[in-house]
Amino acid sequence: MAREFEIQVNGKASRVHAEPDTPLLYILRNDLQLNGPKYGCGLAQCGACAVLANGKPVRACMVPLEAVGKTEITTLEGLGSPQNPNPVQAAFVKHNAAQCGYCINGMIIAVTGLLNTNPNPSDDDIKQALRHHLCRCGTHMEILAAAREAADMMAGASPLSSPLGEKVAEGRMRGSPSGVENRDFHD
Amino acid sequence: MTSPRDTKKAEWLSKSEGLFVLRDPQAAAPDAELFLVIEPSGITAFCGHVDLGTGIRTALAQIVAEELDVPFDTVTMVLGSTDAVPDQGPTIASETIQISAIPLRQSAATARHYLLNKLAVERGLKPEELAVEDGIIRPTNGENWSVTYGDLVAGEKCLLALDPQARVKPVSEYRLVGQSVPRNDIAAKTSGQWAYVHDVRLPGMLHARLVRPPYAGWDFGDHYGTSLIEVKRQSIADIEGIVDVVIIGDFIGIVAEREEQAIKAADRLEVVWREPQVRPDLNTPEEALRNNPSEERKLGEKGDIERGLEGAAQTFEATYVWPYQMHGSIGPSCAVADYQDGKLTVWSGTQNPHWLRRDIAQLMKMPEHDIAVERLEAAGCYGRNGADDVSGDAALLARVVGRPVRVQLTREQEHQWEPKGAAQVIDVKGGLDAEGGLAAYQFDTCYPSNGAPLLANLLTGRVPAIPITFDMGDRTAIPPYSFPNMKVAVHDMPQLARAAWLRGVSAMPNTFAHECFIDELAAAAGVDPVEYRLRYLTDPRAVDLVREVAEKSGWVEHSLPGSMGSEGDIAYGRGFAYAVYVHGKFPGTAAAWAAWATEVAVNKKTGEIGIMRVVAGQDSGLMINPDGVRHQIHGNVVQSISRTLKESVEFSPTAVTSKDWGTYPILQFPELPTIETLLIPRPDEPPLGVGESASVPSAAAICNAVYDAIGIRFRELPLTPERVLAALNEREPEEETRPTEPKPAKRKSLIAGLSGLGLGALAAGGLALLSPIKPAIPTIARPDSGVFSAQTIEQGRLVAAAGACNVCHVGSDGTAFGGGRIFETPFGNIVASNISPDPENGIGNWSYPAFERAMRKGISRDGHHLYPAHPYTSFAGASDADLQALYAYMMSGQAVAKPVAKTELAFPFNQRWLMSAWNAMFAKSETFTPVAAKSAEWNRGAYLVETLGHCSACHSPRNALQAELDGAQHLAGGYADGWEAPALTTASMSPAGWDADALYAYLRYGHSPHHGPAGGPMAEVVESFTALPDSDIRAMATYLAEGRETAVEARAADALEASMAARDSALVTAPRGARIFEGACASCHGENSDLTSLALNSNLHSASPNNVLQAILNGHEAPAILAAKTGREGASLMAMPAFGKLYDDKQIGELTAYLRARFAPEKPAWENVGEVLQDLRR
Ligand code: FES
Ligand code: FES
Repeated sequence: MAREFEIQVNGKASRVHAEPDTPLLYILRNDLQLNGPKYGCGLAQCGACAVLANGKPVRACMVPLEAVGKTEITTLEGLGSPQNPNPVQAAFVKHNAAQCGYCINGMIIAVTGLLNTNPNPSDDDIKQALRHHLCRCGTHMEILAAAREAADMMAGASPLSSPLGEKVAEGRMRGSPSGVENRDFHD
Repeated sequence: MTSPRDTKKAEWLSKSEGLFVLRDPQAAAPDAELFLVIEPSGITAFCGHVDLGTGIRTALAQIVAEELDVPFDTVTMVLGSTDAVPDQGPTIASETIQISAIPLRQSAATARHYLLNKLAVERGLKPEELAVEDGIIRPTNGENWSVTYGDLVAGEKCLLALDPQARVKPVSEYRLVGQSVPRNDIAAKTSGQWAYVHDVRLPGMLHARLVRPPYAGWDFGDHYGTSLIEVKRQSIADIEGIVDVVIIGDFIGIVAEREEQAIKAADRLEVVWREPQVRPDLNTPEEALRNNPSEERKLGEKGDIERGLEGAAQTFEATYVWPYQMHGSIGPSCAVADYQDGKLTVWSGTQNPHWLRRDIAQLMKMPEHDIAVERLEAAGCYGRNGADDVSGDAALLARVVGRPVRVQLTREQEHQWEPKGAAQVIDVKGGLDAEGGLAAYQFDTCYPSNGAPLLANLLTGRVPAIPITFDMGDRTAIPPYSFPNMKVAVHDMPQLARAAWLRGVSAMPNTFAHECFIDELAAAAGVDPVEYRLRYLTDPRAVDLVREVAEKSGWVEHSLPGSMGSEGDIAYGRGFAYAVYVHGKFPGTAAAWAAWATEVAVNKKTGEIGIMRVVAGQDSGLMINPDGVRHQIHGNVVQSISRTLKESVEFSPTAVTSKDWGTYPILQFPELPTIETLLIPRPDEPPLGVGESASVPSAAAICNAVYDAIGIRFRELPLTPERVLAALNEREPEEETRPTEPKPAKRKSLIAGLSGLGLGALAAGGLALLSPIKPAIPTIARPDSGVFSAQTIEQGRLVAAAGACNVCHVGSDGTAFGGGRIFETPFGNIVASNISPDPENGIGNWSYPAFERAMRKGISRDGHHLYPAHPYTSFAGASDADLQALYAYMMSGQAVAKPVAKTELAFPFNQRWLMSAWNAMFAKSETFTPVAAKSAEWNRGAYLVETLGHCSACHSPRNALQAELDGAQHLAGGYADGWEAPALTTASMSPAGWDADALYAYLRYGHSPHHGPAGGPMAEVVESFTALPDSDIRAMATYLAEGRETAVEARAADALEASMAARDSALVTAPRGARIFEGACASCHGENSDLTSLALNSNLHSASPNNVLQAILNGHEAPAILAAKTGREGASLMAMPAFGKLYDDKQIGELTAYLRARFAPEKPAWENVGEVLQDLRR
């Protein structure tokens, strides 16, 4: 039975009337008109719908409205605006870290969430935090470069001078299947 | 509300001032091709192509701004709306920059010359005496004045014909084109401000979901459009907000006020379809393609191929097989349509607005000019995905309901129905002369077509669903090497699965064959593969590119595999490939030249391939936006690695079964290689398309590198671990690495075998002794709640909580104690009764003695026997005070005036009197007596567990007659409502074991860090327990923990370690299950999750897969619903999705095999998964 809920989104209390099992994603998009979180799979697989819940990333497509309770929800819109972006958003803009941009909500939420709990992540930490965020356009290199810069900025290190993307891509990020040690091909 | 509409052409042209550049200024508005408008307020340019997320919007604006010499940000691009832009065909094949940008540049040049000429005449100067910089026009003669284009067009209106001869700027004067102008959409996209088609919202808009037929993924065949037998609308009658269920042929759309209502209804709507047609196996598509009728189309011939092959010193033959693949857009397609007064507007993410308009006109039987397709960005599509289909669906629904309708495809529908990238089979024959030189090359490629008519046209029967042949298999079919004798042919054939163009269409598979084969020839000739290519490449730009890429990669010449050596189980290798992507009608147009040098690592133990490094080089001619080009290369490299290593659509005989990212996985961040791009600067050459080229050499380069690593040629994709491992094993049969598995314990069947003996015992033993008939106890008027003290009622509330009465007796609509829940038992289905104080339907007219008798003896007020699903054997031990309080509580609740269905069991179980015999054999009737030697807490715990809590009802095994077993079997594990209720004794399978703290956490919060969350019925029990004081929870924990484990932490750590160590062996045991786990489960259950590892979950270690399968089939409620009061957060806010409809038995079996091997590595594989699965699915 639909009923009234009060949830905390982007620092404001909002009242919505819906079935208790309604996924938070639809409440955010349809009732609160927040377009940041996107529907990608509805199965907690892709990350397109991610939001922060008390600062930690969760997948809004699998959060039932009745589970939200007093948890503070922050969406992409709550992080910043084009005029006043948060450091992660600013780094994404700087690195042109979007092609279609459909996945970018999840990427920015995941990186912001990571930096909330681990202000000094290694490149591997970043990749692991993004492991279950899918991007089909293959914007991975730019996303990693942006995440690295955001982390460095927040850690207070002076941001590396551009072109950071290529630098990171060449110097730091490399695949390693199980059992494969990173080998340096540049020696 | 977001309802973006581009200003219509007619509105533009009716403006009273401005300069308008058109193809033909005489043409009337709907047909006029408007390219450019210069107004005092700014410059607007129009292109019939759309931005697919590649940043083409930015590049086109750069081109216009360059030609006019105005600042980049003064140009606004309008892309794609049929009412505004010219029809330039679909946005495919990297044509935008090469073809569609030409009229834009010419329009800008036309406008520039016209305006400068006009100004020159006015000022008495020659046009050459005017210079434009940053939008400011100044004389070069030193006079001190300036004007802008805006000044020149102010106050008058001029329609100008596009002059194809207008002189364009020489490249040497470019200052904006060739610069990495930042994209103009990213700030909005990173802050939720960009409106995608998914974000369109109109006043009064409704939401729709579709129910598709069972022949998922095909567009032809028997009974297409006529398979629907029945739609049972009643099945969704209880869902609020349903506006309509629209049925046309095999098209079903459900329209609702709210999105979640449409989702629920689409999930629940019962539909009866005809059995779908059985199709040829497309999982390994070679045979199906060979059997598909085809027509040979010769593409190239040189010399005499027969003679060439005959006369060759050595000849070679190989077949290359490319699988069906998906576009795999991250956002399933979405569209919004609005039909008012005979006019239709569709907001769509289509690649081809004008084509789509034609299709929709056909679908709706409407004239095209009454339809506007507003094109908005969607998720990147890399070809044609479901964007068109969903637009047709939205149009149909909007007209029926007369309100705007938004249709969102589900992930599953996008996966199943998007027109796939076609499979291909390529046969190559080649010959070498005595010196190892190229002598002959015969290339035959089969390509099942890709027309993919609009789905709604097929499902509604507007367009016949028949096989149609197209001719797109010829791209890059001509090899780049000079063979003296050559024959190249494509075998055009109709579609097998529904297909449409996908990035690098046919060129990527064709190049896979060319570039792997040339590598094979080089190896046979004993020549380094790069050197060999260079010998036979004739195109100088190709030669430059190949050399530079090889050099940048640090290429080491070699003619035998093993050039990078190996370490332990890991072998390394390097590979090379080159291609130019040729698109358009054969012989086509070349896009950018591309080459790859790559380095891979192959794990010989697991078959996994890691791409370590890719050097991707490209000659793109003039680069409009070099950063844009680089990003396109990155995107192509990542996507094509994914396609090469992982991607292959899976089919059942009747449908596509890859329905999510678990069953169609794509590359993830940790799998990324180092990518180095090499851009050859060619500013004087025409710009070339860069959207696809870098994908084309990928598969061949990777396969060639794998050959260098392990000396095995792979000619079929994808390179999954199992394919690689199988090839390795075939070559060097190694000892069986898997541990031999002990015989698995038989699953205790849900439906315990009812022995004749048991029944006999009942009939003979029972009947003789007892009179089955019990007297009824007279009814009373429902007691007034005022007769009970508030304190008694409160005590009763706690008793009800401890007994979790409402878990079983909850009303079917969720009201407390309303009854109606159905329990499957070996005797049949038992319906829980209404125990609310309603006199008619509940127990409102029961006296306390009647209530007590029912509780303790299992006899209903009217004298009939209750089945032991009602745990009166436990309640018998409850104290009088507790039962009285419970009575008071029950009587003072809300009456539910709703009857429940009758329990109907088959004979003999419908003979309730038999229960008296049962009772004589199994029921006890002592009340609980405390054990003096034990603490008060222990005794309290024992009382709660053994009487009110009736834990044994689920957690003790039962005999054939459903009586709980006693003694050592007490609480040793049973079944409840289709779930295994694990042992609460030392027989527990929990790897960490249970101590009092763990039990407390579990019973209090529904979760213990060393065990995981309560699931199934237990979750509801814990929810009921939230009413109990901490002391009671503690007491139960204390009682249950007696004689149980210590060292929970250490045992948990061991279990986690064992699971980590089992990663590789589990992957080898169940590679496909491993992929499903990584794609579908690991986002919550993976190594980085804050959820308890599955390695600690008793269910993974149980003798039966029952609970694991239950969780997979039905999902799991968000633990936080329970924890709302306990303040849990993070992943526990999330529910687990149900996979029962998404996955078939095979997929669930594979996943389950992996889960067991990975998380309970010391336990034998479950062998009865299929059996249990079928039980549970029933
Ligand atoms: S939409 Fe929620 S994770 Fe994909
Ligand atoms: S940018 Fe398109 S999916 Fe990531």
